[in-house]
Amino acid sequence: MTEFAIETSDLRKTYSDGGEALRGLTLQVPAGSIFGFLGKNGAGKTTTIKVLLGMTHPTGGDARVFGLRATEQRASVEIRRRVGFVSEEKDLYDSMSVQDIIRFTAGFYPTWRADLETRYLRSFDLPAARKVKKLSHGMRTKLALLLALSRGAKLLVLDEPLAGLDPAVNEDVLQALVRHVADEGATVFFSSHQLADIDQIADHVAVVDRGRTIVSGSLDDIRDRYRRLQIVFDGDAPALPFRTAGVIRTRRDGRVLTVFTSGGADAIAAEARSANAVSVDVQPLTLKEIFLESVNASQHAEN
Amino acid sequence: MILRPNPALGVPIYLQLMEQVKHAVETGALRAGEQLPGMRPLAEELVINPNTVAKAYRELEHEGVIELRHGAGAFVSATAAKGKKVSDKVRLAQPIVSGAVEKLRAKGLTDEEIRRLFEAELAGLTKAGAQHD
Amino acid sequence: MLWYKSWLDTRWRFLIGFAVLLVLACGVIVNYSVSASLLPGLANQPVDTSTAAGRLLAEMIQLEQTYRGFVWGQWWRQNLLQDATLFAVLLGSGSAISGSKGGLFTLSMPASRADWLTTRAATGLGEFFILAMVPSLAIPLLSPLVGQHYSVIDVLAHGLCIFVAAAVFYSLAFLLSTIFSDIWRPLLIAIAVACVVGYLEVIFQLNGVFKVMAARRYFESGSLPWLGLTSSAAVSVALLYGASLNVERKDF
Repeated sequence: MTEFAIETSDLRKTYSDGGEALRGLTLQVPAGSIFGFLGKNGAGKTTTIKVLLGMTHPTGGDARVFGLRATEQRASVEIRRRVGFVSEEKDLYDSMSVQDIIRFTAGFYPTWRADLETRYLRSFDLPAARKVKKLSHGMRTKLALLLALSRGAKLLVLDEPLAGLDPAVNEDVLQALVRHVADEGATVFFSSHQLADIDQIADHVAVVDRGRTIVSGSLDDIRDRYRRLQIVFDGDAPALPFRTAGVIRTRRDGRVLTVFTSGGADAIAAEARSANAVSVDVQPLTLKEIFLESVNASQHAEN
Repeated sequence: MILRPNPALGVPIYLQLMEQVKHAVETGALRAGEQLPGMRPLAEELVINPNTVAKAYRELEHEGVIELRHGAGAFVSATAAKGKKVSDKVRLAQPIVSGAVEKLRAKGLTDEEIRRLFEAELAGLTKAGAQHD
Repeated sequence: MLWYKSWLDTRWRFLIGFAVLLVLACGVIVNYSVSASLLPGLANQPVDTSTAAGRLLAEMIQLEQTYRGFVWGQWWRQNLLQDATLFAVLLGSGSAISGSKGGLFTLSMPASRADWLTTRAATGLGEFFILAMVPSLAIPLLSPLVGQHYSVIDVLAHGLCIFVAAAVFYSLAFLLSTIFSDIWRPLLIAIAVACVVGYLEVIFQLNGVFKVMAARRYFESGSLPWLGLTSSAAVSVALLYGASLNVERKDF
């Protein structure tokens, strides 16, 4: 069995004002994978990440990184020794220069990789003497990434790393991540809204909505299973109660019945034909459609 | 030989890579015994997941198109690059395809409809309704 | 690295405080040289001691007849007492890790919150110790210029009392900074508390923290106010412990 770099089980977080950020979130990130973490704003992505890094205390459930308990103080320090983190705001010490903050961070990691530092300093083209607060958004992101990569981290946890980046910097970041995974055998866990980037480099995804995981697994497997069926009838489309599990949504429009499903497309097609459908057209879904349909269904289920 | 998968196509990247390698072998751009790019450098150059490249190479090896020599890299296998054999198969299949396309056009289907039918069929999806015949 | 970061965060407040206190300490000497000639004359002036203000005035004139008394009345009981309290609060505010401006970056480092806290408190208190002790050494150093002598032992003893007692306000500001994320509220609240405590002590003649700071007992009899020092230290420890509890359970 593959070891999991990250594993959460029924993770819960309720704030003192009653707000429930996490309501039983379960996640399994295989070691060596590039894992995309998707969800609407406020769905619980950042809270999950902060729990993993010991910045937020969960109110229930279990969270482990490399098998270490994120809620245990000493284990949490060890986790941070092995993890490279970039926050959504690219939080850094504004008053330090690029060179200063690199030296400062390196001081915390006896396993600091000077070779990686040199490589990224050059390829990211970061001005060593400039103050962090004077850096553009793209450069700031690259600096934060350099600090995370150069410690030789086995796991990178990145909160919206690609937000607000121009296409060139975007590609630089993706390339650095891919390279780190290829060369160091690292795992990358990142949240993003950019589905195109997820399509490009992720091999596993999870979609989280309102504090719970609603889709998760290998991207290839998900793309294999999720289907849209367009079923046409002679007369008005009947309200077929599909017995196949996995149906996300059914839409009736005159003679056409559209079914979105997370699996068992063949069985659904068979059911449709036995109900005298005139034609059954099965199509794959894009990641965007999978995301939107799943989130929609989850919200309707709640109400 | 250029490998350039397109993530936006909706077809898994590893399948695209496999197709492109096979196409290169068929057209002779890749010959028997020639070495393919290394998995890691290829992933870095294309900026795609290294596991995806690994999967593509593994499947190609499984299908006998390439050989993975431990430590040395990936090489086009002798059997796959028997250009004549592959092109023969393709040449023999050509009339079957043109015959089918002619028939469907005669029935009044547009090229778009024909293409979609073939794609659905090839992707292993359910057959279209059997009522038309 | 933790120590370095703590130093970076507090160095300007420390250095400015040091410079200000040094100048003020020299000011005592200057003040003396200006008023020395007037003091004997004042002693002969009749003062109405029937009012509280009158008694206070009479006491001050009496006090300042001696050089040691002058320094105690001007510096240890007044200027340094007030300014040290102010700088204690200044050093203590903005101590805790905030959620922004580098806070998340700090928290992502492989160091426990307890480590951060202890390092920060130790650095702040260490700097405050220096502020309480060292600038005042200008007084024994420069006293010969006005033909006087001031004992270094007195500086150390009074400095210690100022340090231990004013550390209470450092710790209070520190605790408040774990509750409020901005730098202003801990600062203003702690100063307000100091003012209130000060007034209450004067009005109700209480044995409070400012009394320990002034160390009248040491001035008069040479014995340090041990009870006051230990209870002040205990209060500081309790406040800092409260700060650490706050930091441990906080969500960022």
